[in-house]
Amino acid sequence: MRDSFLVILIISILIASLGVLTIYSSTHQKEGEFWKTIYQRQILWVILGLVLFLGFSHLSYRRLWDWTYFLYGVSIFLLCLVIALGVARLGAQRWLKIVWFQIQPSEFAKLIMVVFLARYFSRKSVDDISLLSTKFGIFRGLILPFLFVAIPAVLIVEQPHLGSAVLLFLIFISFLYLTGVKLRYIVILFLIAVLVLPVVWGALHGYQKERLLVFMNPNIDPLGAGYTIIHSKIAIGSGGLFGKGWLSGTQSQLRFLPEAHTDFIFAAFAEEWGFLGSCILLVLYSLLIRQAIVIAQRTRDHFGKLLAFGIGLMLTLQIFVNMAMNLGMVPVVGLPLPLMSYGGSSMLITFISLGILVSIDRRRSVF
Amino acid sequence: MRSFNMVRTKIFTFSLIAFFVLLILSTFNLEVLQGKKYRELSNLNSIRLLPKEGARGRIIDRQGNILVDNKLSYDVMILPEYYNNQKNILKTVSRIIGVDEEDLRASFKKNLTSASLPVKIADDVDIKKAIALEEVKLDLAGIIIESSPKRYYPYSRLASHAIGYLGEIDHWRLRKLADYGYKRKDIVGFGGIEEKYDYYLREEDGGSSIEVDNRGRMVRILGFKPPQKGKDIESTLDLRLQKIAEEKINGRTGSVVIIDPQSGEILAMANFPDFNPALFRDKRSSAISNLFDDADAPLLNRATGGVYPPGSIFKLVVASAALETGRLDLSRRFFCSGSLVVGRKKFKCWNDHGSQDIISAIANSCNVFFYNIGLLAGPKKIYDYALKFGLSKKSSSDLPYEAGGFIPSPLWRKFYKFRKWYAGDTANMSIGQGEVLATPLQIARIMAIFANGGRLVTPYIVKAIDGRSIVRYQRKIKNLSLKKMTLDAIGEGLRRVVSDPEGTANVLSSLPIAVAGKTGTAQAPPGTAHGWFVGFFPFEEPKYVICVFLERGGHGYSSAVLAKEIIQEMIAKELI
Repeated sequence: MRDSFLVILIISILIASLGVLTIYSSTHQKEGEFWKTIYQRQILWVILGLVLFLGFSHLSYRRLWDWTYFLYGVSIFLLCLVIALGVARLGAQRWLKIVWFQIQPSEFAKLIMVVFLARYFSRKSVDDISLLSTKFGIFRGLILPFLFVAIPAVLIVEQPHLGSAVLLFLIFISFLYLTGVKLRYIVILFLIAVLVLPVVWGALHGYQKERLLVFMNPNIDPLGAGYTIIHSKIAIGSGGLFGKGWLSGTQSQLRFLPEAHTDFIFAAFAEEWGFLGSCILLVLYSLLIRQAIVIAQRTRDHFGKLLAFGIGLMLTLQIFVNMAMNLGMVPVVGLPLPLMSYGGSSMLITFISLGILVSIDRRRSVF
Repeated sequence: MRSFNMVRTKIFTFSLIAFFVLLILSTFNLEVLQGKKYRELSNLNSIRLLPKEGARGRIIDRQGNILVDNKLSYDVMILPEYYNNQKNILKTVSRIIGVDEEDLRASFKKNLTSASLPVKIADDVDIKKAIALEEVKLDLAGIIIESSPKRYYPYSRLASHAIGYLGEIDHWRLRKLADYGYKRKDIVGFGGIEEKYDYYLREEDGGSSIEVDNRGRMVRILGFKPPQKGKDIESTLDLRLQKIAEEKINGRTGSVVIIDPQSGEILAMANFPDFNPALFRDKRSSAISNLFDDADAPLLNRATGGVYPPGSIFKLVVASAALETGRLDLSRRFFCSGSLVVGRKKFKCWNDHGSQDIISAIANSCNVFFYNIGLLAGPKKIYDYALKFGLSKKSSSDLPYEAGGFIPSPLWRKFYKFRKWYAGDTANMSIGQGEVLATPLQIARIMAIFANGGRLVTPYIVKAIDGRSIVRYQRKIKNLSLKKMTLDAIGEGLRRVVSDPEGTANVLSSLPIAVAGKTGTAQAPPGTAHGWFVGFFPFEEPKYVICVFLERGGHGYSSAVLAKEIIQEMIAKELI
């Protein structure tokens, strides 16, 4: 129990430090007060995140069970608020301005949905440890939870933030699989998804369609939408085995690589630290995920177990989708790299998730 | 009771691990397997080269006068970011340099390569205008005046053929020279010294490599290589002689060559019509195409590239052949009655000279005498001696595009024309008619043999590169080991051409120095004859060989008159 706390703490501080170093490196040549202090603000977010991590690790995660519907409601409310009076940035309205900082409710919603799904598929009773879902029919096993997921997903798509919405959907399917919902329901869901795909394509924004097309072949538009993929690949590839060294990355520092401090921070990192650095980073991340899996496996409480799996899954998917889009393996969708990318919302939510993990591990002996 | 489906949990866990494995493999592929390719791409992204032109080597004459120089030319460039910001920037530039605003805009769009690199909008701007622009720069940022060396010809058309001109490298030259580091769009010499010594004259462009950001703005300079000046070429030309020669030939198609008979140095090489090499600086100029289309071939260096029948000048070769082979001795006389029947044809002389020996025959240029000794020596011997005297092949001077000329022979006639060689052909050849062709430089070279005591010199026009003498390699003198008797007799004949009152170049006898020489009038039907005069002076101690050739100039006499004027001018300027 104590060791999981320490391991998670050390790993997350290591990753966050690499993130701060990379943010500093990719922005230190830019002019303006905003860029000069950006790494300091990131350090502030990390400290704030650590405080939340400590807090949540001591808070009983069972409280989340009680608050689930309330939190769900809050997240829906925030998402609606974003659409009503959010701040538009980079062509999307994803941020809510609160006094002096902006938060991204979609990040918050992702965690809440994990909590919600974990609760939905488990039981409060400590004695009955069988899962509900095996007994669920198609309505309670598939349609109802789908509707619950669909509401925030649609709101997120409206922002528009396709990446987070897709992530929600992936988490949902994984939960169905994990909790033993009948395979044929999952297949039905997939079929429906395939059938609505043309409709979704029509509903997509111009830039989203463009990104998908460009993903198929980045060279159709090397200066427009393909620019990011091409330059991200060049940045990573040019790093080579040992990298160009900290503060010496040309692609990220000379601004060929857009968003080098947020979504494309992995490319900026890989350029300067090379394959060896990337390996170390990936190992750190996988150790973090391993903790989540280990905690999930030794927890006997279903809610805790599902929650731990869900958090591990959420982090893994975010890491994977982000890095894969840096590597040009998946289309560019705006997803941050947990613990690395600049941004408060993602940082705080990640630390809260990790805190919940520790809390689950702390309480497992109770049952 | 099993709460979780163990298989599904395992698959779930494994798929999470699989994600990481996939990421590692993909990173490995990009960074390690394809790393080299992406490293190059990243350099391509961020490194730009800004060339800085060096100055081409100068060409100077034997006294150190600069014949071809470089002058700074001022180009107006503007930075693209200012082009977009300041609407009046082009208007201001246009007002100052007097070029239409639309033209400037057009060249801006044409030359624009990168958002940060300066774009050239006008070149070769007057220095006063350049200074005016520099002043405007204080109010109007973004204007850059860049100076680059441009070829400058202080004497304009002087020695244009010997020097050549500059132009952008063509496909043919590029293929030939690519191995020597020549690239597309390089400026190289065409014709003359500029082409032959291009490798030495050529400057080495320097420049700086700069790192730029995504918008092409300069971040820092990675390295700078200063441009290297080309090597100076010192030619054997004498500016004073060259000037006199050009003044005199001006307006009459032809060529004047003055060489040093002892060394073979080309002291002057003047051709008319000539051209202004400065025209080639602007490659779009219609003046250039006019030069190429001109029927008078102003770009042709007649002295080395034009082949003409040498006429009576060739008699010197015939005389040498006859004397050297011993088939003619000094006492042998032939009677000229104005014509000679050879075979079934009557060959004319231009006068009836009566009894002639070798010396008087040269002085009077008696055709009948040379028909006779030509037949005596035979076409094969004449051919041999013509080749010995450097005809029918390039003089291997250091000027490009030399022509070799031609000497016929019975064997050639049989092989290539399938016709027999008749005695009449020998007669015709003996007076330098028929198929005999030579360049003015070859003719001057023959005269040098009689001026320097029987040695064949190789003409050359460059004596030093970068201050280091290359005379050692250039001076190729071959002793023909002619008999003293031959040289003396022909020398005496050549002197008598001028000194005899009846001599064909008697017009030169009024000069205060003794000149020896030979005229030639080459029939070139259907037009007027070509006029030749070739001679050396001072007779006692020959320092100069002069060859004056006038294309369609009529009689050799007119060439002799021109030669006289040139020598007179040389004396007046105290060059002798």
